[in-house]
Amino acid sequence: MSHLSSRISRTDHASASTQIYDAVIVGSGVAGSILANELGRQGFSVLVLEAGPGNDLSIAEYEASVERFYLSASKDNNSPYAVNRNAPMPRGQETVKLQPGRPNADGYIVQNGPLELDSTYTRVVGGTTRHWEGKALRLIPEDFEMRTRHGQGLDWPLKYETLKSYYAKAEAEIGVSADVEDQGYLGISFEPGYVYPMRKIPISYLDQVIGKNLDGAKVELDGETFSLVVRSTPQARNGVPHPGYDNGKGYVAPSAVSTHQDEMGQRCQGNNNCVPICPVQAKYDARRTLVKALETGRVHLLSQTVVSRVHIDSGNGRVTHIEYKAYKDLHGKEHSAGTVKARVFILAANAVENARLMLASGLPGSSGLVGRNLMDHAYLLTWALMPEIVGTMRGSQCTSGIEELRGGAFRRKQAAFRAGIHNDGWGWATGAPYTDLLALVDDQNKFGRALQRGLVDRISRQLLLDFMVEVLPDPANRITVDPDHRDQLGNMRPVLSYRLNDYTLDGVAFARQLSRRIYQRLGAEDHTTYSPQEPGWVDYQGGGFVIRGGNHWAGTHLMGSSPKNSVVDANQRSWDYPNLYLAGSGSMPSIGTANTTLTLAALCLISAGHIAKELRSAPTAAAAR
Amino acid sequence: MGLSRITSVEELHRHLYAALQLEHATIPAYLTALYSIHPGTNTEAVHILRAVAVEEMLHLTLAANILNAVGGTPDLTRPDFVPVFPTFLPDGETDFEVGLQRFSKEALATFLKIERPGHAPEGAPRTVRRPKKPGKSVLHASHTGKDAEEHFYSIGEFYDEISRSLATLHEDLSHQGRTLFVGDPARQITPEFYYSGGGELIAVTDLASAQAAIRLISEQGEGKGKAIFDYEGELSHYYRFEQLLLGRYYQTGDKAGHPTGAPIAVDWKSVYPIKANARLSDYAEGSELREAAFEFNRSYRDLLEMLTRAFTGEPRLLTAAVGDMFRIKELFLRLMRNPMDGTGTLHAAPPFEIASVTEVRK
Repeated sequence: MSHLSSRISRTDHASASTQIYDAVIVGSGVAGSILANELGRQGFSVLVLEAGPGNDLSIAEYEASVERFYLSASKDNNSPYAVNRNAPMPRGQETVKLQPGRPNADGYIVQNGPLELDSTYTRVVGGTTRHWEGKALRLIPEDFEMRTRHGQGLDWPLKYETLKSYYAKAEAEIGVSADVEDQGYLGISFEPGYVYPMRKIPISYLDQVIGKNLDGAKVELDGETFSLVVRSTPQARNGVPHPGYDNGKGYVAPSAVSTHQDEMGQRCQGNNNCVPICPVQAKYDARRTLVKALETGRVHLLSQTVVSRVHIDSGNGRVTHIEYKAYKDLHGKEHSAGTVKARVFILAANAVENARLMLASGLPGSSGLVGRNLMDHAYLLTWALMPEIVGTMRGSQCTSGIEELRGGAFRRKQAAFRAGIHNDGWGWATGAPYTDLLALVDDQNKFGRALQRGLVDRISRQLLLDFMVEVLPDPANRITVDPDHRDQLGNMRPVLSYRLNDYTLDGVAFARQLSRRIYQRLGAEDHTTYSPQEPGWVDYQGGGFVIRGGNHWAGTHLMGSSPKNSVVDANQRSWDYPNLYLAGSGSMPSIGTANTTLTLAALCLISAGHIAKELRSAPTAAAAR
Repeated sequence: MGLSRITSVEELHRHLYAALQLEHATIPAYLTALYSIHPGTNTEAVHILRAVAVEEMLHLTLAANILNAVGGTPDLTRPDFVPVFPTFLPDGETDFEVGLQRFSKEALATFLKIERPGHAPEGAPRTVRRPKKPGKSVLHASHTGKDAEEHFYSIGEFYDEISRSLATLHEDLSHQGRTLFVGDPARQITPEFYYSGGGELIAVTDLASAQAAIRLISEQGEGKGKAIFDYEGELSHYYRFEQLLLGRYYQTGDKAGHPTGAPIAVDWKSVYPIKANARLSDYAEGSELREAAFEFNRSYRDLLEMLTRAFTGEPRLLTAAVGDMFRIKELFLRLMRNPMDGTGTLHAAPPFEIASVTEVRK
């Protein structure tokens, strides 16, 4: 049993402002926490500034979040976290249908359109991993060479081969459960003898039923034939440790976070609310890494501290200091301003907030690309009733997917996609099971046994397929700031402009057709409907779809081979300001069909090595230990 | 003579079976206290109770591994496996019995007695006698005479004797060109089936692994000597429980009885007022509560059957058994949420009368 409170070293704003840290990191999410841990472990002093609350890292704080989720009427992604007027976060219900030419400034993100985007992120200690689902897919090799291989999008300055060993390190850091024999498709390769830290999360009964009926189904696309397979999905959730991991050394599953006494991080028990919060901390969130960082004794954390401006020395182009506003509570505007100094500054506040902060600091970059090329996955949801009871809601939210159409020659014409098989019913699309309960009680006057029976009949056959469709970088999709739109502390809020092009919509349309064929093959009744009244509606060839966001914000400070075509280099270092790094999914030039966390974790491991080398090669008084 | 020395493999089997009984016997008591807490309240207490209960399950599994390793057969379905509560434990204290009661200071006082560190004073006998009580369940290690039972002075003494006998029996058999560890290694439950903040499953195949398993079982409970943290740096059960009474967490460097960590708030009122040591006969024939209580007994019996199969060659069943354990929790809460017929002030609770379930499994 560890005793974190006695091992970590705490600081306050007054003493932090007198120190010159080796690195100041803005954001305590997965990117910031990995960088803090790696640098702290190598002997560097680090200050992590987090805009949101959550300083105590205790089990009680975590469970208060679980209770807040249970009690919340709207079970949206951020429902476990209290409303915070000083570091607001986007919430799903803020996204409403836009009127042409009229931005929606009612939510935290000001939406300019033309398309509404209901994506969110979480501003608390641990960042958006506090609500993510935990899918931990690698990108496929061709995702890194979109321009060269498919004549679309952008190439990375890195190849899959370079990232391969960092993917493995990231999988250990966040604790991924998967079987390597299921994951070697479309060119994904592993280091010799590699096994994932933990065995795959057992696939749901629903997945097994679908696999039995679907495996081997053929799909023709652009002259290529694809044979579909229901395949288990890698998850950053605790499973059975693989005894063969690391050449037989085995793997110790990450434990839960508690500053008082180390409670076990339990295995996934199939509680079915992975998003937004796992009641038993089976799912990775960045506090696990942050706690390790704090335990080095060289990493400090200041929460409720919103960074408001990055200051540059116009002479040498280096960041001199950053300015913050530290607030007392989540409601009142009482706060104190201050500055912190470091040798290296790392913005790890996510793709939207990194861009927002740069632009609010008057730093659009010499390429003008800061905030542009914003990407997120376009999700098409389709839903159906299976012909038999399939145990929907038993087990975790998603345990398998269909991956074959993540890559192929067709990508020169249309977007790739993957399909996730949802074991949590129609919830994402219709609000099930809560809406089913209301319908049975309010509309059908059911109670007692009949209500119980009715719920089983309605819910246990539900199947939802989410099609995660690729979106290419488009400079017009962007985050900007506007002095007219500020939060309570006076910080400018992000302004979003977003549209989808035909490349993505052709992929969406193909996905919709495929879903019809899948449901036919399964003997399932398709209940999918889209309404032009819903946010996310797009017209397409006389019909239309409703597109949902994936919370996979990326691209706003993309990496590239030169200062002309990008904001950062392959180490996530700013081309313009040599002691500034912009870390996270904002650096990704493509997002393919994998959620961004695992890849950005791997990128941050690369950056950590580079930053450590830089800090060592330029010693100063602060580094002379 | 008597129980204080184990001199044969057969006696070792009997003692290891008693170890299974002993490790299991605390689980109903801890779970009853745990689930009597109103859901969503007393976070710290819930975690402490839960962690200890889970470690008792680890100990149960370790005892099964040792018994399997020396050629015995763990059988959790024997009619005497689950005691009738309240029950004495097979150590020597006569000042308390373990009962099934709500989370309370009194319950914690009992838990502290269960987990208290203790060895016989230097030179004193390692066993004690206590009078037989008619109708009381007798755990297997006890030597039954006409009027008295003989017991080890403490759980520590009990495991010390098992440890000693493992070494001597192993040596004796080795001299004869035989081995004590004749069990089928395929019956061992391996580390992948368990993890928590403290302790690992140890597959037992030889003397060293058997001793490591014994050490883990005994130190996780009572601690090592006067230290409040065990050799893995983990706070022993005794001191974990004590934190709830003292209202504060222990941290590194603390002396026993004087924790200096963060405060722990305990809300003694946010607890279902369940009837202590409830029995099936407390519920009216034909009532829903009776049906629920019976279903509890039956489900618990089924779980013990499943565990027995897992411990006798089908370890993979442990994963499936997790679902059954959730079912047990659900059945606990189903009873505890409801007032008992006619009383209004007392709530129902599971009876744990496993031996009374005689119907054949479907």
